[in-house]
Amino acid sequence: MTSTAGVPPVSTNDASGVKPRGRKLTGYWLILPGALWLLIFFVIPFYSLLASSLFDPDGSVLTGYEMTWHFGNYWDAFDQYKGQLWRSLWYAGIATIICLVVGYVLAYAIAFKAGRWKNLMLVLVIAPFFTSFLLRTLSWKLIFADDGWVVGFAQAVHLTDLLNIVGLTTTDDRLLATPFAVIAGLTYNFMPFMVLPLYASLEKVDLRLIEAAGDLYASPARGFFRVTFPLSLPGVVAGTLLTFIPAAGDYVNAQLLGSTNTKMIGNSIQSLFTTQLDYATAGALSVILMVIIVAAVMIYVRTAGTEDLV
Amino acid sequence: MAEVDRRTVLKGVGGLAFVGGSGLALKYAFNTDDQKQDPSQLVAKDVSESDKRLIFSNWPEYIDEDDGDYVSTLTQFEKDTGIDVKYTADVNDNNEFFAKVKNQLGSGTSSKRDLFALTDWMAARMIQVGWIQKLDAAKVPNLHANIIDSLAKPEWDPGRDYSAPWQSGLTGIAYNKAKVGEIKSFKELLTRKDLKGRISMLTEMRDTMGFLLMVNGGDPENFTDDEWQDALDLLKKARSDGQVRSFTGNEYVQDLASGNVLACEAWSGDIANAGDENLVWIPPEEGIMIWADNMLVPNLATHQDNAEAWINYYYEPEVAAKLAAYNSYICPVKGAQEAMQDVDPEQVENELIFPTDKTLSETHRFMALDEATMRNYEGDFADVTS
Amino acid sequence: MSHLDEAPSPQTPATSGPSRDLRLSQLTKEYASFTAVKSLDLVVPQGQFFALLGPSGCGKTTTLRMVAGLDVPTSGRISLGDTEITYEKPYRRPVNTVFQNYALFPHLSIAENVAFGLRRRGVKDTKQQVADMLELVELTSQAHKKPTQLSGGQQQRVALARALINKPEVLLLDEPLGALDLKLRRGMQLELKRIQTEVGLTFVHVTHDQEEAMTMADTVAVMNQGVIEQMGAPIELYENPRTTFVANFLGQSNLIAGEIEGREGDHVKVRVQGALASVPGDRAHSESGTGWLGIRPEKVLIAEAGEPIDAPGDVITGGYVTDVSFVGVSTQYLVRMPWGQELMVFEQNTGARAMLAVGTKVDISWRPEFAFLLDASQDAKAGIEEE
Repeated sequence: MTSTAGVPPVSTNDASGVKPRGRKLTGYWLILPGALWLLIFFVIPFYSLLASSLFDPDGSVLTGYEMTWHFGNYWDAFDQYKGQLWRSLWYAGIATIICLVVGYVLAYAIAFKAGRWKNLMLVLVIAPFFTSFLLRTLSWKLIFADDGWVVGFAQAVHLTDLLNIVGLTTTDDRLLATPFAVIAGLTYNFMPFMVLPLYASLEKVDLRLIEAAGDLYASPARGFFRVTFPLSLPGVVAGTLLTFIPAAGDYVNAQLLGSTNTKMIGNSIQSLFTTQLDYATAGALSVILMVIIVAAVMIYVRTAGTEDLV
Repeated sequence: MAEVDRRTVLKGVGGLAFVGGSGLALKYAFNTDDQKQDPSQLVAKDVSESDKRLIFSNWPEYIDEDDGDYVSTLTQFEKDTGIDVKYTADVNDNNEFFAKVKNQLGSGTSSKRDLFALTDWMAARMIQVGWIQKLDAAKVPNLHANIIDSLAKPEWDPGRDYSAPWQSGLTGIAYNKAKVGEIKSFKELLTRKDLKGRISMLTEMRDTMGFLLMVNGGDPENFTDDEWQDALDLLKKARSDGQVRSFTGNEYVQDLASGNVLACEAWSGDIANAGDENLVWIPPEEGIMIWADNMLVPNLATHQDNAEAWINYYYEPEVAAKLAAYNSYICPVKGAQEAMQDVDPEQVENELIFPTDKTLSETHRFMALDEATMRNYEGDFADVTS
Repeated sequence: MSHLDEAPSPQTPATSGPSRDLRLSQLTKEYASFTAVKSLDLVVPQGQFFALLGPSGCGKTTTLRMVAGLDVPTSGRISLGDTEITYEKPYRRPVNTVFQNYALFPHLSIAENVAFGLRRRGVKDTKQQVADMLELVELTSQAHKKPTQLSGGQQQRVALARALINKPEVLLLDEPLGALDLKLRRGMQLELKRIQTEVGLTFVHVTHDQEEAMTMADTVAVMNQGVIEQMGAPIELYENPRTTFVANFLGQSNLIAGEIEGREGDHVKVRVQGALASVPGDRAHSESGTGWLGIRPEKVLIAEAGEPIDAPGDVITGGYVTDVSFVGVSTQYLVRMPWGQELMVFEQNTGARAMLAVGTKVDISWRPEFAFLLDASQDAKAGIEEE
């Protein structure tokens, strides 16, 4: 927003005379497309959201909404939907951790052990993107069907009992319409967003460093935690952010795989915006979610301290 | 030094301008207008004669289709009148469709449609805010002559001046008899242990809450705020106990057929259409909810004459019988039962199409709500279902 | 191929007790398509600075990696004193490596890099040792920087400190100076030697730079195609090479084909292009048939045809100068001999006589005690590095 952005300062008492004006403006012209893009796709929608979060809640779509600096919307929205908010962060958090553990093993295998299968494995990681997000999620509904063999198997090995004990299912005989199904859906759908950045940073790790760690008395496990893992931290940070942020705001998985007791904040926002047409609460809730996520990301990135890493 | 001062000042002024500009933008740029319109001011020039077309938005699986030798009612209409009908099944949900057209109709511009079908309460709402054109009674004589008595005088359009029912239907219970024992009442749905987590209910507030009011002994056509609250508590409890697996729109049929759901709140025609003999639809002991989907001509529709021809056509008993035989919903046209004799004799006694007066006397509509109450109730309901 | 008894051991082990020599026995490493190391036998006495010298691909790095435990031998044994470590995991061996590109941990500070090995072995208080070690390599002021902020030479010293702090029984250095520029390399050679003398550990240094090997090592083993061609003190290898490869790879040699006439007393007589030359018995590595008579360029004396030669020995006449390069301390001549071969002659610029011009007819001569005789079945060009 400041006038100096992107342009080198021009000395006013330059003895060589006045510089061509076009040259001075080049910097501005170059940032124009980016600035326009930002304005149209971020600034305006963001202001619109902010405005609607401060609408007078007595308004309606039919009678019109007026912005009255009604900050009470925030408290009302938070109070009413804190359950869904907390649940979203919780589900997204678990899904992110599972993605990290499973994705790390996968990315590690692709980066270091896959040999000539490397490219094929990478394609397989991306392959789910070739079909629609919605269709893939729906197909999990078939896989987890109450009468399907997956549930039968899970019952036979008492997985359903175990999940019930840890609270990831609500009854002991099914998988669909439980937190387990929602978290599984989130994990499945966002896994590539974890694997790809992890792979990218693991692939850059110099194998000689791992050898050096071994040479310096680090067992393979210690070498991993002292060298490989710290060096892959940029990938870990990128992967967890790319997984957690969309997962926390997701509503499709909860909608299709969950039940009424597993609704996430995305479902609430979607319902408020599209069926209840309560723009004030919907706007306030969206802003709350955004603030929580931005704050969490800032704390996380600062704690992880990735700026020192190569 | 002067340079620094100037910079500080510039920064300060810039910051203030930014904050002020943002405030102004927030205050004035994003407010929404009152969406109420005056339909008499929004009459488009009718081009029905020169441009023989009709654009109609309806719910899915709601009209018969050509099949071998069978000529659908739509094709017949096109043959008879020379009007090209653009029929689109893009109404999945009343609220969703409302959101789809609200920007145009609310701002007094054209929705690019000549006709669409919405459920009673939404039809009432749209008529109330002036988005719907009045039908010319002289051009729809069949409507006024043949509409069945129970649908002739809804309180929101007592003279059927603005609307014409496409089909009417009942909301009751469907269950999979191969997998679960007989179910008789809505209360069983909410309490039976063997149904825990295996039932679904509809996101249509009036259907679902109507039943809950009745389970508590109330009357959906006339209830108090306290009764509403009790019914809502009942729903909340069923939900938090894990009795209810999901709240759905039309897609409940798939879950019922696949066995994920054993029993559910269901619309009468859907189950007959599903063609699975294990799926049965029953009227619950507490009572039945009844509703109708109404054809409406929106403001600035350019083919109103064609729309009226269409409405008039579907109020011929023979045409109505053909349509009802296909989709198994309640036929709104008098004389169709007699006409059904020629179309499909087996359906003449089908209570789902031609309910007896006794059945009709057991049906309930949902109380008309003013806009503010409606929003409160819709909000309350959505808080439980989403 | 082991010539251990010839290897001098100038340094007595710093620690008492039983000897902890590094011993490789019939060590072999085979890959799918080639054999990197062929049945290698080698003993590195404790406390020695030992250099493995050879061109790239000769198997020296593979040998080193097997000692470090980073590669597993196909067969053979590696032991330290009485302890066999052939299949021991790298992190369980009392051996540390200074890697070719240092392999410093980029996410750790210099001090943390140096402390890495100690920490892994559970040493709680590493502060003092790290400080001492950084002092030794003169990097105390850089302790809190990250490796990427250091120059190449500094990184090299960090790598050294990181390995040395563990007081390994054997320190392996894999081309440690390869990435440095020439001037820095010379300085580091001296420093490495100083540090080795100071700490008294066994150093095994892998390099392809013959000058580096000779400057630093007590013993040099020249490796070629998976085997050790010759091993010994630098001066011995240089003065008395046993193979054409060593003769060419360590410095330069003139190799002249000749007929071996046989032993006469303690000398072997060789007929070279009509002239008769003699080679001391201990420098003749072939006693019959044809052979290569070898003589280092700086050992060849040169004079204008017919002029007297200082301290003449065996003389060949009839050559003429084809190329002269003046390199300051010396002048390098190429002399075409009557049979067509060009011989190299390096002459100190003592100023005794003017430089010879191209085309000058010359005689050459050398003292018989500087000549050596090699088996003619070998390639005369083996070990000459490609330009």
